[in-house]
Amino acid sequence: MKKKIAIELKNISAGYHNDLVIENIDCTIYDGDFFGIIGPNGGGKSTLLKIMLGLLNPTKGTIKIYGKPPKIGRQNIGYVPQYSEYDKQYPISVWDIVLMGRRSIRGFHPLYSSDDKKATVEALQKVKMLEYKKRHISELSGGQRQRVFIARALVSNPKMLLLDEPTASIDKELQINFYNLLKELNEKVTIVLVTHDIGVISSYVNRVACLNRFMFTHDDDQMISKEMLEKTYSCPVDLIAHGVPHRVFDDHKKKKGKV
Amino acid sequence: MIADIVEMLQYPFVQRMFIAGFLASIACGIIGTYVVVKRVVFISGGIAHTTFGGIGFAYYLQYLGIVFIEPLSGALLFALTAAVIMGLPFIRTRLREDSTIGILWVVGMALGVLFLHQVDRSKILVQDPVSILFGNVLLIQMQDIYLMIGLLILIIFVTVILYKDLHILTFDEEFARISGINVDVLYLVLMVLIALTTVVLIKVVGVVLVIAMLTIPAAISNLFTHNLKNMMLFAIIIGCIVTFFGSVLSLHFNLPPGATLVISLAMLFIIALFLKNIKQVFVKSV
Repeated sequence: MKKKIAIELKNISAGYHNDLVIENIDCTIYDGDFFGIIGPNGGGKSTLLKIMLGLLNPTKGTIKIYGKPPKIGRQNIGYVPQYSEYDKQYPISVWDIVLMGRRSIRGFHPLYSSDDKKATVEALQKVKMLEYKKRHISELSGGQRQRVFIARALVSNPKMLLLDEPTASIDKELQINFYNLLKELNEKVTIVLVTHDIGVISSYVNRVACLNRFMFTHDDDQMISKEMLEKTYSCPVDLIAHGVPHRVFDDHKKKKGKV
Repeated sequence: MIADIVEMLQYPFVQRMFIAGFLASIACGIIGTYVVVKRVVFISGGIAHTTFGGIGFAYYLQYLGIVFIEPLSGALLFALTAAVIMGLPFIRTRLREDSTIGILWVVGMALGVLFLHQVDRSKILVQDPVSILFGNVLLIQMQDIYLMIGLLILIIFVTVILYKDLHILTFDEEFARISGINVDVLYLVLMVLIALTTVVLIKVVGVVLVIAMLTIPAAISNLFTHNLKNMMLFAIIIGCIVTFFGSVLSLHFNLPPGATLVISLAMLFIIALFLKNIKQVFVKSV
């Protein structure tokens, strides 16, 4: 069965002030994927995110999001940024944050409509945060806040969720819950997550790409190999996994990874 | 004391002082909230200080007899120019923000000094530079009040129309961009709103003390609410109350009104901070 293409990157290079941060990236993400992009800090993950969101134009190559250029195609993406960047004193409730997500599909309008409010209730229900709707952002735990930002991304009914370092500030125990939630959401939306945390990612995603200036995409049934990780992180990597470890250790060639 | 206030209120200049104080409180309650949450207090300070140049410029043109410009209109012109410079995407991305602020701030002040130096004070009536800098509500004229009302209506109108987008912009600029908001234009609009507010405020507290009115009522308000609209509302109420009592104090004890107002606000902020912490300690211990 031919799968529908969600994001298509063709020969993308990009950077700042003539310094390329990422080079010649080819990557296709299909509808329904649970796609993980992993790589070290400074490897170009956030640059790639900016390109996907239409915040940065690549210096070379083309990108299509659901067949359209990113500035239009991004309407199909629900973006979940690293929440650690927020001002925790900002006067805003859970409800207001999620409502904001409606702006992208409703366009300029001075007031929120009853549809917006209905969608907000539904999005909060999906992440099981409806009862916290009146809470202020400072009154939430890291995991709860992450759910709120997922609700904000979901409220515009996107075809895809794009998450930047989603587990950076969540306790290890809660990460399992969190990934289970993503797995659940993945039944309806495509999920792309970007992280430097190799540990958890592997047991949930169905496809992985390693990014460190260049990108190594691993399709089909190939698993993350030690070799591939070492190429990406350009240093010896010990594979220590959290959650379900076995898949991480699988090699796609005969080479055995040191455990 | 109450008899005093009632008696004072019979003088037109005192009435104008209270009206100006209330108008300023409304403007700073609304825009000050954005200034505080978006953390642009010092950008606002930079814009405010350039108005000194504008006032000097207006007097200079009056003195030359080229065209008669009200000092407050000169202030408006300079504040808007500074706001546009601060808000230009080119300047925002290429220059360090604090450097831009520093340059605008001192250039505005220096221009004011130069212009006022050129004016021969025996020929035209010039407001004392100290009262330009630190405010003198007793000098407010009716035309100042009209200009303030006009600006305030404009500020309220724009804020109501753009409330949703400003909320998104001030909370999460990147998300605003992704949501299809023209962030560059909206940020420029916010800067212009700050400039307009600055002009509403300078007659009341003076160029230097504008930051106080923009910051302190909203900062106090933020201690007690987690809702942006309430924050504006509380800031307006705090502003009105403090302007009223500050003005009464300054009249009663013959103190400089702008400075009295700022110190009153600062004291209220400290008390509020104290009360809030008491509340937190109390809640935790229960």
